[in-house]
Amino acid sequence: MKALEVKNLKKVYVDVKDASRSVHALRGVSFDINEGEIFGLLGPNGAGKTTLISTITTLEKPTSGELNVFGLDVVKNARTIKQNVGVVHQEVINTGYFNVTEILEFQSGYYGILNNGDRIQFLLDRLALKPHAHKKVKQLSGGMKRRLMIAKALVHSPKLLLLDEPTAGVDVELRESLWKFVAELQKSGMSILLTTHYLEEAENLCNRIAIINKGEVNYCGSPKEVIQKYSTKKIHIKLTNGDTKEILTSAAESLNNVLAQHKISLADIVDIQMTEGKLEEAFTKVVIAGREAHGAAQ
Amino acid sequence: MEKTINNWIPFLTLIRREIKRFMKVMIQTVVSPIVSSSLYLLIFGVSLGSQVNLPNGLPYITFLIPGLMVMGLINNSFQNSSSSIVTSKFSGDLEDIRVAPITNHQIIWAMGIGGIIRGTVVAFITGVVGMIFHYFMVGDFLPIKHPLLFAMFTVLCGLIFSFCGIFIAFIAKTFDQLSAFSTFILIPLTYLGGVFMTIQGLHPFWQKVCHLNPVFYLINGYRYSMVGVSDVDLTTTVVVCLLAAVVTYLMAMYSLVKGSFARW
Repeated sequence: MKALEVKNLKKVYVDVKDASRSVHALRGVSFDINEGEIFGLLGPNGAGKTTLISTITTLEKPTSGELNVFGLDVVKNARTIKQNVGVVHQEVINTGYFNVTEILEFQSGYYGILNNGDRIQFLLDRLALKPHAHKKVKQLSGGMKRRLMIAKALVHSPKLLLLDEPTAGVDVELRESLWKFVAELQKSGMSILLTTHYLEEAENLCNRIAIINKGEVNYCGSPKEVIQKYSTKKIHIKLTNGDTKEILTSAAESLNNVLAQHKISLADIVDIQMTEGKLEEAFTKVVIAGREAHGAAQ
Repeated sequence: MEKTINNWIPFLTLIRREIKRFMKVMIQTVVSPIVSSSLYLLIFGVSLGSQVNLPNGLPYITFLIPGLMVMGLINNSFQNSSSSIVTSKFSGDLEDIRVAPITNHQIIWAMGIGGIIRGTVVAFITGVVGMIFHYFMVGDFLPIKHPLLFAMFTVLCGLIFSFCGIFIAFIAKTFDQLSAFSTFILIPLTYLGGVFMTIQGLHPFWQKVCHLNPVFYLINGYRYSMVGVSDVDLTTTVVVCLLAAVVTYLMAMYSLVKGSFARW
């Protein structure tokens, strides 16, 4: 069974006074997430990522299309789905009245769990929040607030975790520890949908990615595939006659072909260094191509 | 992926959260009503009240205490739900509640019960302060004549204004809109509903106008349950209050379905 199936999903924010000003946030988005997979949803600001997450969490109703979580329709089975989904919102929630432990106790209660102390203690411990358990949110640093949001999303042990830019504004060390934790969650069988602007991390962490722009999916597949298809690799060759050659080629191109094309035999080479293509480059090309296609269609 | 939960736990958690929230602002909920009710009782009850002769023959302070109690109940049940939602709009808490498996009915009832409890705490404190004044002015404590009716009007009043608070807080897009409702609708309706005066002394036209005010029935019902006097008959009062509870519940539900959970 798929953890998430999105089929031709559309979301329009209708301007009742002037229909031409209506915003088409999602324009027929389709993709799916396998159970136990980390799926990256990448896209520039305003691409429709948060709208999509809001629709999965039933905060927004889709205008049309299908959205199933573990085989259940999101609109018809909202409550059952909510019990199995954890969400880390993009913006930090600053609950003013309560301390960290109280917040996690309330959050457990919202999901029908009483006496969730063991799980709360585990999360506090794992996310390094134990020393801050009795602090109010306003007393926490930005990174701690982010960790608290992740703890909140996990108190009810969801089967699908939605992470909407969970590392925005977080320092490198904390980002690394968070991604390590996310990888652990995947090993425990959790399916994860992740949006992030840190493409290198998405490249390392995600089994598959979708690149979304202007409400349309421009690419869906493994990070490796998109890199091979859209990025270039740099080959730096030092020749026996003392010359050096720098060749830019498609990431999918084999070294033998490149050497043949440039009429370089192996006997002429002293040293060879290759810099592989990056997701960032592929991402930019996909987004630009998508934008041009979108512009042409309009 | 069947994962069934006990529906009562999220509901009771929300109620617990509401109570804990207002308990954290004790100055607002406990100290402030002691000060304001003492001032009202001193100025209206003791000073001006000694010169007031009511048509129903009651000492003015006996008439005033239920009015002040119900005013505290109205204001605090309204403020509890509206401030809970508005602060949650600022902090983003509403998103947590929205994505959790909690129904709109549960949200409304939990906030309604939170409002009743806060309103009752304030009404009780006002009543205790009032009893002290009553003892020194009249010579005895004020008994509650109809305890069951008193409980019913306390619950209805708390629910109606908690539901109103939910409706306004969800519909409002700014603080201005929220305070406009309080300033231009809630306070005039409460003051003109008979907190400080009986309508018997008014011109018949204004008496008729007062009958259009639903808060008038609530105040009179509450006062009747305590001291046994009212400007309107009990059956009409009960019917109007029940109707008001249903209408405000539907308004609250509408606001949850159509209103915004988005941050301010």
